[in-house]
Amino acid sequence: MTDDLRDELQRRVDEPFLPAERKLVTWSLVLGVVLLGLLVWISDAFFAP
Amino acid sequence: MKLDEDRLALALALGLLVFALSLFTLAGVDLLGWGVATQVWLSPTKAIAPVSKAWAALPGVTSLVFTYLFLLVVMTVGAAMLGADVPRFAAGFTAIFWLSYACWLAGNWAYIAATPDKRAGFGIGWSLALTGEAGFIIALAVGLLIGNLLPGVATALREATRPEWYVKTAIVILGGALGVQAAGARGLATAVMFRGLAAIIEAYLIYWALVYLVARRLFHFSREWAAPLASGISICGVSAAIATGAAIRARPIVPIMVSSLVVLFAVVELVLLPFAAQTFLAHQPLVAGAWMGLAVKTDGAAVASGAITEALIRAKAAASGVAWQEGWMLMTTTTVKVFIDMFIGIWAFVLALVWAYGIRKDEGRTVTAGEIWEHFPKFVLGYFLTFAVFLALVVARPGLLDAAKTATAETNVFRVLFFVMTFFTIGLVSNFRRLAEEGIGRLALVYVVCLFGFIIWIGLAVSWIFFHGMTPPPVG
Repeated sequence: MTDDLRDELQRRVDEPFLPAERKLVTWSLVLGVVLLGLLVWISDAFFAP
Repeated sequence: MKLDEDRLALALALGLLVFALSLFTLAGVDLLGWGVATQVWLSPTKAIAPVSKAWAALPGVTSLVFTYLFLLVVMTVGAAMLGADVPRFAAGFTAIFWLSYACWLAGNWAYIAATPDKRAGFGIGWSLALTGEAGFIIALAVGLLIGNLLPGVATALREATRPEWYVKTAIVILGGALGVQAAGARGLATAVMFRGLAAIIEAYLIYWALVYLVARRLFHFSREWAAPLASGISICGVSAAIATGAAIRARPIVPIMVSSLVVLFAVVELVLLPFAAQTFLAHQPLVAGAWMGLAVKTDGAAVASGAITEALIRAKAAASGVAWQEGWMLMTTTTVKVFIDMFIGIWAFVLALVWAYGIRKDEGRTVTAGEIWEHFPKFVLGYFLTFAVFLALVVARPGLLDAAKTATAETNVFRVLFFVMTFFTIGLVSNFRRLAEEGIGRLALVYVVCLFGFIIWIGLAVSWIFFHGMTPPPVG
């Protein structure tokens, strides 16, 4: 491992949080919450043990 | 990347080979019965014997040597196809096989393995009651010792130190055994399959977003580091970090660094979580199985955790007079894990789109569905194929159930050996000193914060939501 990479890992980067990243994170979480209800309902209705 | 895909494809072929040979048992020809089975023992002479009664005349040691030679030939041919240094692979594999088997044998010593209900049979007053799966933990410990204290030996074995290859082969083989088991309780098996899929969708969407957010906003990592870190830490491990690195066009060193971190933390989880599951989830066995699949990273460590968890929880249940069928907790872990592996390709495709069109804003860039296939782990198909074939066989012709059980018991010999070698080689590649020297402390800190802050707990909650109240069928 080079010293450059070690320095890079120690450094805090101020790269802007782009709208595309925000959308990705938001949609992922929203989809997770919405699907939770749906998947629990399907599991209980059609895949009861 | 190309090598990984070849390796996966090879795992598929190798698993299917053992599977196909075992099918001869169904037709009345016992081709794999000479494989070595290891029993819990007090006297070493009674520890090993051929797995099939049809081969009972064969001495145990001969059976063990046959098993070694068979695997040596098959794996060396495979290694040659992968472009490995064949003599070094054969020598390394030989050492890994015998050291791993010695660990497995030690783990089956009655004072370590015997459950309380078996102590009287051995005439002993105490035992650790860890079951034979204690051999996995011993293999991991010996691998860790060699990897950290004898780096020269670890380097000499490097050509054959391939934990991902071993575990993926084991998973393909496992599919057949689980298929036979599922035939006896199709409703439960279908429920485990669907709920496993539902659990990984939930966990993936929530984990990835949160880890990415923590890495970017709290620790101020660049996008190039944060995305592979999120994929590696969240639930998928090494293959996800590599697939994500490729999807966002990160430098090759990024997923490699993340992967080394994932492997080290997987070892920690592997040692801690099964015992936590035995302590707190013994009454919710399938929740425990799913939790291992969702919380423990890398295929090897996750499936291995499932095997240990199952052994520990069944032993605890047996002590209180409850006998659950073997395999259901491991099936839950494996199902969750292979669905996660399937999801890697889809998620890498999504990330490639977001990075191409939303972040880099490439002109003329097209992301094709072929990229899903490129990142799709091929051994998953082998798992589902062996599962489906055995399930269909037994459902269509119930008279074949006993033969199918014999066949899968014989393939199980090889599955266990691949698992033990997985544990041993995970230990070999887990060099804690090197981690410290590489100065990836901030990456490790993200891992610790995410793992103990929410991954373990969200994984537990999701497992509870989809699997609580489900128990394996009773024995008999």
